[in-house]
This record gives sequence, structure tokens and C-alpha cells, in this order.
Amino acid sequence: MLALVALTPAQAQKTDRAKAIGHRMFCMCGCKQILVECNHVGCTMSTAMLKKLDAEVASGKSDDLILQAFVQDFGAEVIAEPPAKGFNWLAWIMPFAVVGGGLWVIRALLSRWHQPAPALPSGSAPPPDVLARIREETDREE
Amino acid sequence: MDLFGSFALLLAFACAGYAILAGLAGIRTRNPLLLKSARNAGMAVCVLVVLGTASLVYLFYTNNFALAYVAEHSSRDLPSFYKLPALWSGQQGSLLFWSFLLSIYTFFVLFTNRGKHPELMPWVGVILASVQIFFLTLNCFVASPFSLLGAVGPSGAPMILARADGNGLNPLLQYPEMAAHPPNLYLGYTGFTIPFAFALAALLGRYPGEKWIHLTRRWTMVAWGFQSVGILLGAHWAYAVLGWGGYWAWDPVENASLMPWLTGTAFLHSVMMQEKRGMMKVWNIWLVFITFLLCILGTFLTRSGVVSSVHAFAQSSIGQWFAGFLVLILAVCLLAYFKNRDYLKSDNQLDSMVSRESSFLFNNLILLAACFAVLWGTLFPVISEAFTGNKISVGPPFFNKVNIPIGLFLLFLTGVGPLLAWRKTSADSLIRNFGWPLVGGALAGAAAFAGGFRHFYALICLALCVFVTLTIGGEFFRGAKVIRARTGMNWLSAVSELSLRNTRRYGGYVIHFGIVLIFVGLAGSAFNKDVQQAIHPGEQFSIGPYTLLCQEFETRQGPNYTAERATIEVTRNGKSLLMLYPERRQFNTANNETGTMVSIYSTAREDLYVVYAGRDPDSGAPIVHAYLNPLVKWIWIGGFVLILGTGLSILPNQRVAIVLSAARQYAEGGPAPATSPAPVSPYGAQH
Repeated sequence: MLALVALTPAQAQKTDRAKAIGHRMFCMCGCKQILVECNHVGCTMSTAMLKKLDAEVASGKSDDLILQAFVQDFGAEVIAEPPAKGFNWLAWIMPFAVVGGGLWVIRALLSRWHQPAPALPSGSAPPPDVLARIREETDREE
Repeated sequence: MDLFGSFALLLAFACAGYAILAGLAGIRTRNPLLLKSARNAGMAVCVLVVLGTASLVYLFYTNNFALAYVAEHSSRDLPSFYKLPALWSGQQGSLLFWSFLLSIYTFFVLFTNRGKHPELMPWVGVILASVQIFFLTLNCFVASPFSLLGAVGPSGAPMILARADGNGLNPLLQYPEMAAHPPNLYLGYTGFTIPFAFALAALLGRYPGEKWIHLTRRWTMVAWGFQSVGILLGAHWAYAVLGWGGYWAWDPVENASLMPWLTGTAFLHSVMMQEKRGMMKVWNIWLVFITFLLCILGTFLTRSGVVSSVHAFAQSSIGQWFAGFLVLILAVCLLAYFKNRDYLKSDNQLDSMVSRESSFLFNNLILLAACFAVLWGTLFPVISEAFTGNKISVGPPFFNKVNIPIGLFLLFLTGVGPLLAWRKTSADSLIRNFGWPLVGGALAGAAAFAGGFRHFYALICLALCVFVTLTIGGEFFRGAKVIRARTGMNWLSAVSELSLRNTRRYGGYVIHFGIVLIFVGLAGSAFNKDVQQAIHPGEQFSIGPYTLLCQEFETRQGPNYTAERATIEVTRNGKSLLMLYPERRQFNTANNETGTMVSIYSTAREDLYVVYAGRDPDSGAPIVHAYLNPLVKWIWIGGFVLILGTGLSILPNQRVAIVLSAARQYAEGGPAPATSPAPVSPYGAQH
């Protein structure tokens, strides 16, 4: 019971802007939850971080400056998405590069499929009687 | 009983080894007796693993705390219902559970196909036994759930230590959803072993044709269905239990379950191209391989400590085993492919970009891109640290930004794909099939915009949901209309008749409709609101149209916990609506863990989600956190529809049943089937 009473819930944000910025950061207690979503029991870290967030927002700083202040205190890991610079650009580019690459492959496949297919090397195909038997079995079972 | 369990698993290990060796020898010598004994050994593995698992369950129910695993995950006051889920709540037990499910799948595959497909089944048996022996190696020698608690005695000799009570089950797992979520997810993971075994067997045995696909389609649907249920139950558990107001946090463990689901979905679509047109053979084989590899990769990620996760198992050296297994499977797949790839030539070519085939290509591309985005985001912190030396995080903002546009394109294809004809779709057909749905989707989008919707993605999602629903509805309408015209049935019977005549096609449409409903629910998250307030009894606060009046806080005793509970009256427009009782529980476990009981008032329009967050550290005032989450209920309804569709698509076609029964009657000396019982097909080519 005493432990229940001594729980430390996260503090409520004072503004919608603080909530929005808080959604871009992780709580740094190790729970791997978004800062404003951290309901980790007894989490002293999120309470302190949220107080700091409200104070930073009240001081009138821009979003980027607030995030930078958190990075200084907690390291780059506090930001919940990779920064869009340097090596970390790859994080953002690669998924869409895969889509682009896939489209290119589809285009290449289409152009290849429009050409006549080369004959199979002799001996590579299974004997016709085996093929016929298996297809017959398949038709029967389906 | 611990000895019995260990012995059963060791025997299972020996039987799996024999099944591999005898199977390979039988394939080489074509000796039917060897092949038969290999198959029987494969089935015996199931009996032995079931016995081993049953003995562990027995040890849980008899509170045998001499066993380290039982002492760690159970306690005397743990309710009986949760002693079974305790089986898979830790590393060793969950690995045994994996073996257990795999052995059951293997048994049914070997039993139902006994005496059939002599060129294919021996290879299938060998591959299934090989996967099984990997898990049995872990069960017997690396992470045995039957290890006894040891201590050093006064003389320095080792002795068995029996504790009076155990640590108890993690309270977060003491919820009904959590009893059902892991088995479903594991049934999905292990189930994908079956199509993998058939695909690899077909390649290793140079087995021509599409038979392996026909044989595994239902197994794949079953695995996919279980995986879907597992993911949805996990999401519901996160929503109803963790108390942070959401259902999906893009945690690595969640991502690990989503990736094989995405590739499995891609396979279930592209496989139709191989069945109908003999195309995409290489692609399908690799989709199955990748799906199985992702199942193992996910297990590796969550058990190795490579990525940090809320749900991950304790870090251990077991990750190395999974990494080794992963490399081995990949090597075997590559070897089999390069050795026998000449058997995977396509029979046909793509005739038009506007065709069912091309829509499947795009559908596969998008599903795989989504899978890659999830995998990339999950692994990127590790990659970034390796290359730059700096630690970064990749969380929900990244995954949402990347996956939402991909998901919306997939939703669009869900509506477009099924209505395109095989080979080539004419302009007339395009207008006929898509005209009204496009108009409907555009009107819905415009109406939502006029009604004040300003969230871009939510707006697009809504328009697409209406578009896809209309295309699906149109398909049922046109088909049922033909049946009505020919039989005079009412609409409901005609739709039912239509669905049963081609269960795969119409089951697929029902699944698509379930996905639409899930997207409706996901779109609602764009409009979530929350308020957190310290309140004393008699005080109130508002969120959206609701007013929450705190009536009292009380402490109550549960079977294995103490709870502090808030009683909150919810009113709307001055009228009392209902009482909510959010609570926090302190469990009587070794670590005095706590848990949340969220109180939810759920309607089709929105969820009022109330959490008792604890007490203010300064004032001691109770704090209530209320969320207003629009449309969440549609995610669960959509999940239910998706499962119904999966069930329908697994059923055999009614047409086949009629034809077979007529043929059987004829074969048994009955009258020849003079009139064809084959039903009307509203369209020539069927799905």
C-alpha cells in the first residue's frame, strides 16, 4: 500500500506545444516509451524531463532549440527519430530507395518478359510423363 | 517429473536426428522402409515433445519450486488460470512452447500426407525435423526449462535447493489477452515453417509444377491467420493494460511480429500468379524463405539483446545460436536455389501493366518496402552506432512518417488489384469497376474536408477506405445479382451462396474489408486528445464531450495483489452515463511489481480511456489521466472481420464438394451425374 501511495506519475504538460514536442522524445529511464506517454511506475526521469520541457516551452524557445537542449542533457538518443543529416540521412532515404529500386526492377522485368523466353537447356526439364502425372494429381486433389 | 520431461525431450532430440538421417538415406537409396521409419520418427517427436511440455505444465500446477524455471515464473498464490501462460512467460519455457507447436504442425503435415507425394514428402520431413532439432538442441542443452535450483552444500558438494515459494508471474502478463497472445503469435511463427519446408523441399527435390503451393496454401493461411490474431491481441493488450493510451509503439518485438506478417501477406498474393499463370516462381520461393528467415530473425532480435525493447527476454548467449541458425538456413536456401534454379522458369509473361498480375507486383513491392522500412528502422540504431560511433534512437515518429504513405498506397492497391482482370484490363472494364467507387471516395473526402477534417493523411485514408469498401461491395453486388437472377434467392442467401462457391476469392474480399476497418481505426489516432489532472473526490474535469467526476479512492484486496482504485462518474451533456473504475495494482511478487487496470468506455465513435496514474509526489493528490481516442473500436472490429475472412478462405469451395459427392455417388454405383452440378460463375476467370 505504501508503495502504491509513493508512486510518481508523470507530470501533465501545460500546453499542446509541450505535448507535441514531448512526442518527439523518449523518456530516458530506459523504458523506451515516448516521453509524454511514459507511465512507467516510479519513473523519476520522465517527471524531471517533463518539468524541464514545460519550462523550456514557457521560456519561448523554438522547437529545435528545445530539442537541442535535451540532446545536450541526455544525448542524441533522447530524440525519437534519426536526425536528417550526415550518415543518418540513410535512415530516411533507404525505405523510399527500396520502393524506387523495386519499381526499376519491375520495369526491367516487364521489358524482359516482353522478349521471347530462351529455350530451357536440354535435360533440365522433368520428363513429360512425370509432369503430366503430377499435374493430374494436383487437379484431382484440388 | 522433471527427469521425465528432460528424458522425453532428449528422446525427441534423438528421434528428430534419426528422422533427418533416415530421411536423407531413404531419399538417396529410395528405400520405402527407411522413408516410412523416418516419417514415423518425425511423428514420434511430437508425442515426446507433448509429453515433455505436459510434464512442465504439471510441475507448474504442483508448485514444484525446486525447478528454477517454475520458481522464477510462478508462485503459490498465482491463480490457476495463469499457471499455463507461465509456461511461455520466460526464455526456456517459450522455446519449449515453440518446439511443442512446431511438433504438432509437423505431426499433422506428416500424418495427413502419409502415402502421398513420394517425391516431395521425404524432403519435407527432413526439413521439418531439421528445424525441430535446432529447437530441441536449445531445449535440451542450452536453455533447458528443467534445470533444478542448485546450491553448494556445507561440505562443498552441490545440492538441490527447493524454495518455499516462487517469484510469481510478471503482473503485466496476468491478463486474459496475454494468455492468448503468445500462443497465437507462436502458432504464426511456427506455422510459417510448413510452407518453408514445402518450398525448400520442392527446390531440393527438383519437384516441378505448382503442387507445393497447392499443398501449403491452407497451411500458410492458417499461419497467417494466427499471426494476425497474435498481433491484434498484442495490440489490444498494450492498449488495455499498459495504460499509455496507444496500441502500437513500434517496439522491436512488435516489429518482429509484423515483418513476417507483411512478407507472408505478399506471398499469399503473389502465389496466385504462379497458380494462374505459372509466373513468379523464383519470387514466391524467396518470399517463403524470407518469411521464415524473418521469423527466426525476430526471435534472434528479441532474445539476443542486439536491440533494446520493453518486451525483450533477458539478454543471454542464446542469440548466438539463432544467429548461427539464421546463417545456416540462408546458406541452405541459397545453395538449393543456385543448384536448382533452372526449375523455376516462368511459364508466362506479363501482357499488360493494367492487369491483375501487375497489381500483384506492385502489391508485393509495397508490402516488401513496408517490411524493409520496419526492419531498417529497427536495426538502424545498431547500424548507425557501428558506422558513426554515436547512439541514436528510432521510434514512432520515424516509423509513422515512413510507413503511413506506404500503408495508404497499399490500401489503394487493396481496392484496385482484385478488380483488374488477368492478362489485360480493358478501358471499359476499368470505368465499369472503378467509376462509382472513385466518385464515392472523392465525395467522402470532400465531405470530410467540408466537415472540418484537416489532417492530410486521415483525409486520404478516409477517402481510400470508402473507395475500397465500394469496390468490395460492388464485387459482392454483381456476383449476387447474377445468382439472384438465375435462382431467385434473396440477397443475403445469394451473397452467402456466392461466398461459398469461391471461398478463396470472397474470403479474400472479407479480409480486405477487415483491413479497411483497421485503417479507419488507425486514421482516428490523428485526432487523439488527452488530459491529465490531479483531482480529489468531489472534483471534476472535462475531455471532449465528457465530464469526469471523481467520487472516491479506495484500497481493495485481490487474490494476489492490493489495488488502489478510483471511482469516476462520467457525464455527458449533464446526464450521468456510467461509472469507471481505473486502478493500480501492487502484486505480491518478489519484486513487488505493479500493474494498471485501464477503464475504457468504448463506442463506435470514440474510446474514453481513463487511467489512474497514481498520486502526485508533492501534494499526494490522486492523478487521473484521460484520453479520448476516436474510432479505436474499428481496429478490433476490423480484426474480427479479418479472422472471419481468413476462416472463409480456408473452407473448401462448395462447388468442389458438390462435384466430388456426385462423382463418389457415381463411383459407388449410383446414377451417373447427368446434369452438371457446377454452379454459375458470374465471371469467367476466378480468383
